[in-house]
Amino acid sequence: MNPYATYQAIEQLTTTLRAIGSVYEVLLFIAAAVLLLAAVLPQAVRWRGWFLAGMLALLLLGESVLVWFHWRLYALTEVYDPATGMLTGRVAVPLWVESEKLFVWAFMTALLGTAMVRHRRALLPGVMIITAALAAGASLLGRPFTQPLPQFLAQYVDYLQMTTSGFQAAMGAFEGMEGARQFYYNAWYMWVHPPLLFLSYACFAISFVATLQMISSRHSAYETTAYRWARLGYLPLTFGMLIGFPWALSAWQGDSWWWSGKVNMSLMMWLLYTGVLHARLYLRRAGMWRWVAALGVLSFLILVLTYITTYLVPGAHSYAFLPAENPLWTTLSTLLEGDA
Amino acid sequence: MQSTDVRRRGWDFGLTIITVLLLSSLGVQSFIGTLYVWWAQSAVPNWEQAGYNGYVALMNLLAAPQLVALVVVMGLCVPKRLFARRVLVTVSAAMVAAGLVAGFASESLATGVTVYLGLAALIQLAVVLLTAAGAAGPSYLTEGRLTKLGSGLLHLGFIVFGIVIAALQRSAFMLPVFWVATVLITLGTVMSFYANRFAVRHVEPVEHPIAF
Repeated sequence: MNPYATYQAIEQLTTTLRAIGSVYEVLLFIAAAVLLLAAVLPQAVRWRGWFLAGMLALLLLGESVLVWFHWRLYALTEVYDPATGMLTGRVAVPLWVESEKLFVWAFMTALLGTAMVRHRRALLPGVMIITAALAAGASLLGRPFTQPLPQFLAQYVDYLQMTTSGFQAAMGAFEGMEGARQFYYNAWYMWVHPPLLFLSYACFAISFVATLQMISSRHSAYETTAYRWARLGYLPLTFGMLIGFPWALSAWQGDSWWWSGKVNMSLMMWLLYTGVLHARLYLRRAGMWRWVAALGVLSFLILVLTYITTYLVPGAHSYAFLPAENPLWTTLSTLLEGDA
Repeated sequence: MQSTDVRRRGWDFGLTIITVLLLSSLGVQSFIGTLYVWWAQSAVPNWEQAGYNGYVALMNLLAAPQLVALVVVMGLCVPKRLFARRVLVTVSAAMVAAGLVAGFASESLATGVTVYLGLAALIQLAVVLLTAAGAAGPSYLTEGRLTKLGSGLLHLGFIVFGIVIAALQRSAFMLPVFWVATVLITLGTVMSFYANRFAVRHVEPVEHPIAF
């Protein structure tokens, strides 16, 4: 292994991605603005489905670039044990971590929104607004192309540097990198849990839009649509959260992860959606629809808060202690903390 | 017969409301806990070293009665499918008593909860088997044998998962039992939600318009 050559190759790869990203992220933001306009302007009613399909195509293009970037990165990021000089493996960074999360959520929402059939015409504006917000967030806050994987790349470059700084330093960096490789990046769980949750988030977003339609139109058919999307989202949410349990026991052994911010909020979100599905059994009782609708809206708001918690509240799952590479996250955090 | 039905549905509704209230209450606690962590991290110096363990202990203390109540309600939901109301109260009281005796005898809340959940799991298993056999005994809010079976499996899965948390976290059986619970919950959820898609004989749910 030649650490300097590896560093150079990674630098070249990220420079290429940044060059593509500097154009792509601007395009994505413009597309989000256009999608938002198409959602609110009555003149665009007939073409709304095409606008959303266009956004999906753009997101698919970006996702393809990210797949290429991750594949190339996998080939470069070898991890060697300094004690034996043996290769322990390569780092397979999942496609939905760090700066890529909002992008994946936007992609899933656009995908399901394009595929939805029932009440399509009525739900499209809401789904388009949510997709536009997520895509704009991905281009302004996440920035997966111009600021790719800040945490992982910082750790791997540090590991490369340490391999040339004596045995003790190399060993320390290796243990950290190898631990992250085995229990985080290459863990099967990290390749299954996040996409399941983003799929459920996208379903719940559509359910939320249908619930708002039910509240505004007082039409029970929308409630059925909201329920169908909620139950579709509940499946990957429950399975995704369940499979986290044995992983958390082994990866965070000894840590009090149970009451950390993100786990707390995720638990609350699941409890609320469980509450929605239970309360709905009595929907035909007088006035019960109000409770079901209120719980549905509240659940989605908590879902959004759960997502934001990752960036604000330190603890397991958290990016809250990342170096302030992204000024927008810092600004948002400061505003929410009331220091601004 | 109709009045028994109405009473049973009233009882079911009561249990559902209590379940939703307990789930919401735990949710509110989680939310307040998150806000507190957020505040403490920025306002209290060295909070992670000095205050985090105290916070975890307080959260556990507050959650314990709610979780026990949730477990009791879940236990009540299980025999309600098999027994008439008077017998149900006796069976439920006996289950709680067995859990309490086990808990006091072993001086361990986890053991008491495990015994209680173990009994609930046995009854739920009987419910699932009777439902699968098409017996008339078990009562459900939902229609259709597959949907009922799904609901039964789903609740059995949660009870087994409760046993994993209460008793098996450090056991060699943890992973296999956990996967049994996960399969039961997932399969049960799919069957509860989508039974109509793969049922041979369709049962149309009784639909009434929502009273807006």
